[in-house]
Amino acid sequence: MLYELRHLKKVYNHRTVLDIEDLILEEGQVTGLLGPNGAGKTTLLKILTFILSPTSGKIRFKGKRVDFAGGNLIDLRRKLVLVQQQPILFTSTVANNVAFPLRIRKIEKTERERLVEELLELVGMLSFRDAMAHRLSGGETQRVAIARALACFPEVILMDEPTASVDVENQIVIERIIGEINQKRDISVIFTTHNMIQASRLAEKTVFLFEGRVARSTYENIFSGFIKEDEKGDKVCMLQGGMELHVKNGKPGPVRISIDPERIKVGQREGDLSPRNAFTGRLIQLTDENSRVRALVDVGIMLSVLISKERLEDLDIRVGMKVGVRCPEQSIEVF
Amino acid sequence: MDFFVDSLLSAILLLGSLDPELLEIIGVSLKVSSTSTLIASLVGIPAGFLITFRAFRGKALLITVLNTLLALPTVVIGLFVYAFISRRGIFGHLDLLYTQEAMIIGQVILIIPIVTTFTISAVSRIDERYRETALTLGANALQTAWIVFREARFGLVAAVIMAFGRVIAEVGISMMLGGNAKGFTRNMTTAMALEYDKGEFILSVALGIVLLTVSFGMNIIFHYFQGKTRV
Repeated sequence: MLYELRHLKKVYNHRTVLDIEDLILEEGQVTGLLGPNGAGKTTLLKILTFILSPTSGKIRFKGKRVDFAGGNLIDLRRKLVLVQQQPILFTSTVANNVAFPLRIRKIEKTERERLVEELLELVGMLSFRDAMAHRLSGGETQRVAIARALACFPEVILMDEPTASVDVENQIVIERIIGEINQKRDISVIFTTHNMIQASRLAEKTVFLFEGRVARSTYENIFSGFIKEDEKGDKVCMLQGGMELHVKNGKPGPVRISIDPERIKVGQREGDLSPRNAFTGRLIQLTDENSRVRALVDVGIMLSVLISKERLEDLDIRVGMKVGVRCPEQSIEVF
Repeated sequence: MDFFVDSLLSAILLLGSLDPELLEIIGVSLKVSSTSTLIASLVGIPAGFLITFRAFRGKALLITVLNTLLALPTVVIGLFVYAFISRRGIFGHLDLLYTQEAMIIGQVILIIPIVTTFTISAVSRIDERYRETALTLGANALQTAWIVFREARFGLVAAVIMAFGRVIAEVGISMMLGGNAKGFTRNMTTAMALEYDKGEFILSVALGIVLLTVSFGMNIIFHYFQGKTRV
């Protein structure tokens, strides 16, 4: 277990930006923190890097309680390193930037030069060795920042939106680097992203953050709606577009719901499914996702559904066809 | 007009002849002003860093006071220091009055607020991410400060040059605490004031030329650093 968070809260000016009941991040994995802007991803990342202290709650790092008030943070910080969204390189050469962590760790000159070369090679920036760091493009800067982070010999590398401000080419390179440092160098990687596809492509585990909270298993199909009780006392959530979903919990009033894509049922027709929370829609897109297929169905709202490849074959559905979907009450989370 | 041109020509001849008295006066100026700038920088730059990065009570008030002290007249400092080091003052027994040390004390008081406030403004303009980055890369407080120092060097050099410019050109402190003693505390500005009083313009003008040349030289150094550190 790498991190163990309990009842963690961060409050800024009376506003709770992070409120995590319970979260465990495993060692040796690539973990994605997924969520829209303002979900608290960066705040969480800074707390995980121990450069920001939580307002309340406990963090354990590798089984040991982290004491934010005490002075032992520098030893902890040296085990991990943060690559910021728009990393800052010091006003000097690329090589000097990568050498900085080595220098403060008092690594002697020949070894330092060898490591700088090796790390720049890893991120494909060796030819920029003597270039001035502030003349690099966004993607190049990001790659040098990763090399500099690796020069800290971290056990964990944390990256804030590593590909958000770079072009497509650099995005591919950076994703390759992330995989490589995790597998070849055995470094745990934690990164934030608002790109669901990127998270599922890179991460072994994805944590979805929404408004400062960890949403349980889902990280998609988020809608705002309004809960009413009907005449039978059942709770109904009214969504935009006039859709109505029966829900189990949640107080009457404005809410947000998320629907677990793994629990949504798909049939060839709406009639194949039991009538509650069932809709007919058009299949917009099918995407291959390792052992499964992600289907995007337009039922007035866009629903993302994960189904097995076998199930897809049984169904024999194609893009453009009408399909039936049903959202069981257990698949809906109200928050 | 002839009078001015004559004075100017004679002044240039005087400079060309490397008159020993003239050189001595210039030497006193450079020595005293460099020393006071050095001391003020050693105090003011770290103070500026601490004020920027530490949170403490009365921080805003302290910065306001420092800003006010930027406008401190040299004669007020002269009087103030005089009160301490004159025979009747509490440091009277140290015999500091009318020495170069006294001039340095006064000049240091004059420019510490300059160095400190300019350091604060140079350092606080540096992106917070430099500090954060250094911290996450494992730097301790001192190494982190060094990174910020490096990034702020352009502003810090400007602060030091400003301070030097202020002391090399001031006359109140040098006159009141140095006493314009020939061969000891007579510097460029006090000599100019004296020569003016005597109606001897040639030395005055020569010293004025030197003073401007020194300022010009400082500006060249300033631009050299600017070229080196500007991205």
